[in-house]
Amino acid sequence: MNSKPKILIVDDRPENLFALRTVLKDLDIELVEATSGNDALKATLRHDFALALLDIQMPEMDGYELAGILREEEKTAHLPFIFISAVYTDNLNVFKGYEKGAFSFITKPFQPEILINKVNFFISMYQHEQALFVLNDELENKNKELESFSYSVSHDLRAPLRHINGFVDLLLSRFYDTLPDKARHYLDNIADSSRQMGVLIDDLLQFSRTGREEIRQTELDMNSIVHEVLETIKKDNPKRNIEWRIATLPGVYGDKALLSLVWINLLSNAVKFTRTREKSIIAITVLDEKDEFVFAVADNGVGFDMQYAQKLFGVFQRLHPTNEFEGTGIGLANVHQIVLRHGGRTWAKAEPDKGATFYFSLPKNKYHE
Amino acid sequence: MNELRTILLAEDNQKDVELTLEAMAENNLANQVVVVKDGVEVLEYLRYEGKYKLRKAGNPAVILLDIKMPRMDGIEVLRNIRSDAALKRIPVVILTSSREEKDLINTYELGVNAYVVKPVDFQQFIEAVKQIGSFWAVINELPPEGGL
Repeated sequence: MNSKPKILIVDDRPENLFALRTVLKDLDIELVEATSGNDALKATLRHDFALALLDIQMPEMDGYELAGILREEEKTAHLPFIFISAVYTDNLNVFKGYEKGAFSFITKPFQPEILINKVNFFISMYQHEQALFVLNDELENKNKELESFSYSVSHDLRAPLRHINGFVDLLLSRFYDTLPDKARHYLDNIADSSRQMGVLIDDLLQFSRTGREEIRQTELDMNSIVHEVLETIKKDNPKRNIEWRIATLPGVYGDKALLSLVWINLLSNAVKFTRTREKSIIAITVLDEKDEFVFAVADNGVGFDMQYAQKLFGVFQRLHPTNEFEGTGIGLANVHQIVLRHGGRTWAKAEPDKGATFYFSLPKNKYHE
Repeated sequence: MNELRTILLAEDNQKDVELTLEAMAENNLANQVVVVKDGVEVLEYLRYEGKYKLRKAGNPAVILLDIKMPRMDGIEVLRNIRSDAALKRIPVVILTSSREEKDLINTYELGVNAYVVKPVDFQQFIEAVKQIGSFWAVINELPPEGGL
């Protein structure tokens, strides 16, 4: 933002406008003057204002009425006001919509320093806000670029992979009998690797989709989400001896599909990494903190060395060899991304061979974006 | 049942062409397959232009259309076909690597008949080609050309 912040001053008396102009002349701002409420409304159509100084007592439309109208318009709904009144008035209720934006009062005759100070305060607030908007835009663009990059890369990677699979398959099906054992073995390896790469690409695609999908937050019962997820996991692991210890969970505000994915990943991880135990014990608990709920999934599985804990939530990070525990290492990256997008955090505690506990928090404030 | 009409395959990648033809052969699909390399050639074929000036008359039973192609992409081809009175009823099946939402929405809005994402696994791809071929080139009935 290179242009000077614009300030709207509204007063029906030219001598008052002159006084305001004089007081504010040394500030690095652009003044736009209006002598009536209607004039002021017209000016808001042409300019983007950082602040409005409104005289309260004006004929036809007074300062409160004008402020009320400005609050109704989308463009000026959050425009801060400084009301200028001859006598200190506390009949604030005549100004509708004061809760939407900041405002202040000053009574005439005012000391120039006080007005300058108030104006400067609102201007710096405005400039910070503008700087944040710009940063936000940049960030959003960067994110979009990154997402469309990873998405198109994943897609373009698929085509050659499909070709490798296709021709290996043709080779094996048409010439299997004439191939020496070594050649078959090599082809099996090629097929295996390309299958693996296919899974990696699919996981990457899903991760990228999770990151850009819009979050649809509603009130949710965590108990029913966890129980739904649990049903699926039990069906997928019919032969396992698992003791589930599940606390009563609170209601939260979040995206059902995404939070289900969090539980699917955490619970199936717990099931996977307790596979070597005769009896798996998996506990789901919750801590009711001041501003957030902290959910935890604790297991009695193989655990891991805390030295590598910071790697856990990265994309394609694995702490165990594939031949011991399968997986691409995308699950916890998804968990991390989803929780982060809900305004929460993820972390873990573990010890080799002594189980692991995975935590995630969700803020209680349902208006969190 | 239809007489065996042509299948028009629009695909710029030679390896994809080869695999698709192999998959059709695996499925004993007897229809003649005409392969074109991009969107411009699709329209030339359909409109009897360029090297297709003297081809045998008749629309294909189905067009298998890739999205990403040089010169003119699949979306643009589809738009052209659907706004051409002589071509607009030809069944068009998108056969692509892309599951991109935007492509799905665009092609359906333009009146595509089906959208198939090529499976990475070749056996699944053979199965997909079998389904597409038997449905669109054998089972499906077409309206008379030229209309009522």
